[in-house]
Amino acid sequence: MQVGAVPRWHSSPGRCQAEWSTISVSVIVRKVRATKVRTMREAAALVPDGARVALGGQSVYQRPMAFVRELIRQGRRDLVVVGVLNGPELDMAAAAGCVGKVETSYVGLEQFGLARNFRRLVERGAIGIDDYSEITAFDRFRASEAGLTFLASPHLGGSDVAARNPNAVVFACPLTGRPYIAVPPADPDVVVIHAAAADQYGNVLAAPAKLLPQDFDQTVARSCEKVIVTVEKLVDNSYVRRHAERTVIPGFRVAAVVEAPWGAHPCHSLGFYTLDKAHFEEYVAASSDDVAFRSYLDKYVYGPPDESAYLELIGMSRLRSLSTVTGVVL
Amino acid sequence: MKASVAELLAVTIARTLRDDDVGFTGLATGPRAALYATLIPLAAMQFAQATHAPGLTCLLAGWCHNPSPGSITQLPDAEFDPNLLALPCDARDLGYPPQYVVKRGDVSVGFCSAAQVDREGNVNTVCIGDPAAPDVRLVGPILIPEHMALFGREIVMMPRHEKRMFVARVDHRTGVGFPGGRRGRAELGLRGGGPELVVTPKCIFAFDAGGRIFVRSIHPGISTEDVRDSTGFDLPGLEFAPVTEEPGQEELAFLREHVDPHGLLRMDTAA
Repeated sequence: MQVGAVPRWHSSPGRCQAEWSTISVSVIVRKVRATKVRTMREAAALVPDGARVALGGQSVYQRPMAFVRELIRQGRRDLVVVGVLNGPELDMAAAAGCVGKVETSYVGLEQFGLARNFRRLVERGAIGIDDYSEITAFDRFRASEAGLTFLASPHLGGSDVAARNPNAVVFACPLTGRPYIAVPPADPDVVVIHAAAADQYGNVLAAPAKLLPQDFDQTVARSCEKVIVTVEKLVDNSYVRRHAERTVIPGFRVAAVVEAPWGAHPCHSLGFYTLDKAHFEEYVAASSDDVAFRSYLDKYVYGPPDESAYLELIGMSRLRSLSTVTGVVL
Repeated sequence: MKASVAELLAVTIARTLRDDDVGFTGLATGPRAALYATLIPLAAMQFAQATHAPGLTCLLAGWCHNPSPGSITQLPDAEFDPNLLALPCDARDLGYPPQYVVKRGDVSVGFCSAAQVDREGNVNTVCIGDPAAPDVRLVGPILIPEHMALFGREIVMMPRHEKRMFVARVDHRTGVGFPGGRRGRAELGLRGGGPELVVTPKCIFAFDAGGRIFVRSIHPGISTEDVRDSTGFDLPGLEFAPVTEEPGQEELAFLREHVDPHGLLRMDTAA
């Protein structure tokens, strides 16, 4: 180029833009969108000892049991389980020594009665518990979702639920003077839920039918920034993009996705399979004392090195008999 | 025809229900608890709907609005039992918050159950013994605080009537009755009315003007001594308690035909 010569794009603004964009294309760095798919082992390792953990589902419905079994295999300790209606996921983790404290409104096995391991540990003083009423336990997650530092409960006056909770504080409404009890939000460090499906980027799809446990899992997933999702089926993003109205948790809010078919067993997984009654009866019988339950853990949790080995142990004919696919699920 | 205890209770409770009531019944586990906490209240509400209270709203399991009478064929003991999901009804609440508003007082009458009830009407579902070191840990508070604090009035359904359940003072005051009497309750600023009746296989308790429990009636065939021996607190005036009025033949026939065609209320034999 001659000194003093005017580059030709200077004479034409439109042209100039075209030239520049050609140049930038030549230097663009195109990275691949990162996958969030992890192995169960990798995902469980995201939960540190002592973490506040919310485990999705309710009582015997939609619990991330495969994830809990892996937490037990990894020997996690001192977890604070925060929930609403807790069941076998907590009872099993507590029996395996993973849990230091619980904040919830219910721990039980629904039609199978009390959570007997949990009961023994509380009676022994081995596990701490802050009791909450059911609506308060629900709303503590909504308080976290709203970014609040407390939940105002208008209806716990006179109840030992408030009187015995060291974190409950009586205060007066600054506008009207009405008495309230402030309780802390749920504020989990990690949320783990079991869902129908997700893609490699963490977009989570609901099954067409949805009940309270599945619906509330969406609120739980909004109460925290470290959300781990185990799914019955991993699907490709191209599938999600054709059925985006069924996405219930957007990928950017999800830290890890694990494919875990039958991952709620022995609990229900809506649209996929029903509760394994025979297995629950075995569980309940085993939970009558520490020694018997240790045998259960040896057989079903410590014995199989991973979830495929667990499913083999349960057996495909049993699993198939639980299948409830009643219509198009995916 | 002679009414079973469950039929007697269903009709007796139905008579206390109003046309503008919104009634809530949860689910309890175990056949006897399911009968008392769910089936008898459901039958009472459906009997009332079919007779004097057609406008009553029944919230079964907290999420199934106005299920069709006679559509339940077995004792429900699972919240999302496939049989419940298939019930014809006006609305299904499949999320939280539900379509009715608990904290604004939508529920005018609730039915709950407990491990212990005391003379102030406080109820316990958390533990037996000192809560700091319990002898028996139970399921926890669940919705009991809301039943007793937010619902218009509460009917406490006790599947058994034994001394260990009817105590001078509950070990954990999970749900609030009338501590310090009705005035004591008023000072707590609770929206709901608290316990109205406590229903057992032997009698029905109510609460007097001061908020103290008394026996409103004793069921046919149950002796005064039996009620006294089965209750862990004094019952002054018990000898004056009337007999629980049995349903008339026409009422009983209507109950069996319209509300309970599968005879679930007649499966109860062990009082």
